[in-house]
Amino acid sequence: MSAFYDHFTRHSHGEGLKARSTHYCPGCGHGVAHRDLAAAIDELGIQDKTVLISPVGCSVFAYYYFDVGNSQAAHGRAPAVALGHKLAHPEAVVISYQGDGDLASIGLAETISIAQMGLPITVIFINNAIYGMTGGQLAPTSLMGQKTSTSPDGRIAAMGQPLKMAELIASLDGPVYVERVALFSSRERVKARKAIKKAITNQIEGRGYSFIEIISECPTHLKMTPQEAEEWVKTKMQPVFPLGVKKDLTVEPWFKRGIPSFEPEAVLGLSGAEPLDETTRRTAAVWPGHLPARDIAIKLAGSGGDGAQTAAMLLTRAAIAAGFDATAIPSYGPESRGGTSYADVHIAEQEVLNPAASEPHALVAFNAPSLAKFAPTVPEGGIILYDCTVVTDPAGLPANRRILPIPLTRIAADLGRPMVKNVVALGALHAALGLLPESGIVDTLRHVLRGQARPAAPE
Amino acid sequence: MSVTTRPKPFLEPQYCKGCLRCIEACPRDCITPGTEINAATGLVPVEMHLDNCNGCLLCLQACPEPYGIRLETDPPPPIPAPNTDFVLEDPAKLFGERCVANFSEGDQPDDLIALPACQPLVLKGTYASAIGALLAGCRHVFGYPITPSTEGAELMAKILPKLNGSFVQAVSEVAAVNMMYGAGGAGLPCMTFTSSPGFSLMLEGISYMIGAEVPGVFVNIMRAGPGLGNIAPEQADIKLACRGLGHGNTRAIVLAPSTPQEMLDLTREAFALSFRYRNPVIILGDGYLGQMTGMVKLPTNMTRPGLPAWAVWGDRAHRHNLITSIALAEADLEKHNLHLNRKYAAIAACEQRVECHRCGDAEVLVIACNTPARMAKGAVEAARAQGVKAGLFRPVTIWPFPIDTLEEILPGVQRIIVVEAGPGQLEDELRLALSHAGIAPPPIEHVRRCGGILPAQSAIFDGIMHTEEVLS
Repeated sequence: MSAFYDHFTRHSHGEGLKARSTHYCPGCGHGVAHRDLAAAIDELGIQDKTVLISPVGCSVFAYYYFDVGNSQAAHGRAPAVALGHKLAHPEAVVISYQGDGDLASIGLAETISIAQMGLPITVIFINNAIYGMTGGQLAPTSLMGQKTSTSPDGRIAAMGQPLKMAELIASLDGPVYVERVALFSSRERVKARKAIKKAITNQIEGRGYSFIEIISECPTHLKMTPQEAEEWVKTKMQPVFPLGVKKDLTVEPWFKRGIPSFEPEAVLGLSGAEPLDETTRRTAAVWPGHLPARDIAIKLAGSGGDGAQTAAMLLTRAAIAAGFDATAIPSYGPESRGGTSYADVHIAEQEVLNPAASEPHALVAFNAPSLAKFAPTVPEGGIILYDCTVVTDPAGLPANRRILPIPLTRIAADLGRPMVKNVVALGALHAALGLLPESGIVDTLRHVLRGQARPAAPE
Repeated sequence: MSVTTRPKPFLEPQYCKGCLRCIEACPRDCITPGTEINAATGLVPVEMHLDNCNGCLLCLQACPEPYGIRLETDPPPPIPAPNTDFVLEDPAKLFGERCVANFSEGDQPDDLIALPACQPLVLKGTYASAIGALLAGCRHVFGYPITPSTEGAELMAKILPKLNGSFVQAVSEVAAVNMMYGAGGAGLPCMTFTSSPGFSLMLEGISYMIGAEVPGVFVNIMRAGPGLGNIAPEQADIKLACRGLGHGNTRAIVLAPSTPQEMLDLTREAFALSFRYRNPVIILGDGYLGQMTGMVKLPTNMTRPGLPAWAVWGDRAHRHNLITSIALAEADLEKHNLHLNRKYAAIAACEQRVECHRCGDAEVLVIACNTPARMAKGAVEAARAQGVKAGLFRPVTIWPFPIDTLEEILPGVQRIIVVEAGPGQLEDELRLALSHAGIAPPPIEHVRRCGGILPAQSAIFDGIMHTEEVLS
């Protein structure tokens, strides 16, 4: 049995009898299932490919015994850990070995979602209808009427009825193979061994996710002899958890993943990076002397779809292309569409310190509520620019500010594209502010919108 | 009765627990319940009478003990004599001190690949962090959508398939962190983007990762709480990241970027630190920073990750490796904790990071991190313009708190003002660091907002300028 360590050094440091005996109680089904799994690993010759995941439950110590790569997982999370291993190294054979509390109670979300993803991993589910490690409590698979330490008068429906995991998993689209097997007779043990081997073979061949439920004996917590426990599984559990193949799709091998790429060109290209262009680098703009500060705050405000965010982004890019520092911060309402949409932009000669624009030097308002809300925040000497196509009757604008009513929507409509009112606004802002070189703004526009230019809609 | 030449079973009485499962399995009634107590085990092993045995080996298949019944022809090698010098479950002895970037035998080291010079990018913080991760060699990202961190995951979902990487939208943050446990346990750089409520859900997994010494990078774009709170920025997870990473003796380096550029740079750095110490690294951003667009310059190289010797990879070279956080024997677990403590001490000594702005002659020292540090810098500049000797001390690592540098600055400082968008968790870290270092600080005041509101530059300025009344 080469899949087992010769010497269980992880079992109490491998001292004394523990060097070769398990921590399982006499007659425990886990030990039998371990033998089956070890046999499958040996027969398939995959000891040097296997990663075994052992989460919380009696089998948490599977890594004492299996001489393969081992990862011990948190309670219920084994399929997630298995998925992480499989995606990290798709060539590995990843086996998640879980008990009923782990798989069918605390880990249900991981169990179902990862089964449904259908990636080729192998899940071995030991269902013995009781909690072993914590000492005989009700399991999600305990039988109706079964007395456990947390159902001392027997399981009733209000405690939940036994979860039939094999049927549940088989009802999903992701898995390719689901079978329930048992260990109570030589005949069933032979079938169990075959099923485990097939489930692993499906993974090796890249056919998909396989799930083997093993109804198993826990003599200690059933308070039975191993023979009574075998009989109990056969006569009491089996009718509730019928044995057999629940799903077996004929699927051609499909799982094949390329080796992750570390090509600089690919990484940079996908990141949106462009080669350094010495000619355009730092248009060497000089900070205009007429501005009141070395750091100018601008607020663009409208509702979703007005283009405030795009305009803010264009402005930021143009400023950075001109060699200044710039930041933009969006602020949305909770709605995905149609709610408020503001953006704070800062452009600084050296470094933007405070990126918020609570007192903007310039406000661009695309609608009346935005104008009403933010016009009072513009300090004296600031600029208030608004779309007078939609705000026809602005009331109570503060004095000593440059008020610029611009028909943004009308100008854009006259151009045949009402959507570009935000770009019209940028033009107006540029004229009013005189901060960035005009060529820089136009270059940025061309660059960002390249490939998106379409002829104006006919009137 | 024909007796075949097939090998027969052999009973190892000391490894038989007397469960009798083999008796039912044997079609030829070769096995009977035992009658004698085994002196070594105190159990009663079965007895085999193999005259009639045809070597069907069904008894082997029924035996729950790997060495209870074996083939007569297949004796296992003798158990080596106990070596008192070698204790398997002491990671410090096994792998040496992991506090420095030394490679053990079997490590495939990372490659650094030169990058051509590029135009600066104009990116929002979450994107900058994602690109930092790509450049650090991360090709495995696991996450669950949560505002305001989601854009990072979205960018990864777009890019990673084109690089033969994986982005998985998990069923929950709980599943996501355990996928990281898997991929990180396989020795590969992996990460997640999350925000405060999601980070809370990941804490269990982070504790397991720390216990099992699994690297991984968590980008937490903090939002306002408690509970569902809102999606505006708040620095209210400092407590969780510095003091509350799940159960047990847990610590992780906590990085606090303040610009999109730092989101990229510190994400790269986080991966290096995470592997150097075999420990998760937490990046705390704030909602502002995650959404903020700014200039980001790309580095001159990128990383192709190697494979550490400790990885559970699923090949022969790594077969004996184990990722686990369980140590049943108390003495083993104490030893493991002492190993972790040595690692934490090494981190505290070697990894403090801070940006000091005009701290040299500062009499009023403003302490702030993340976006509030930018407002604070503005306020410091404004105060300097008024002739007040103000300085900004910006921790880049919140844990370990950069106490060594602070200690050098403090002698000239008359007042400290802690500026934070939160209920005082940064101040708690400061006070704990001062207390542990045995430093008596000057008066500590603060300017705080919470609920998603950042301290305004004007409020910080007022805090610096007023000298009489202590803020409360």
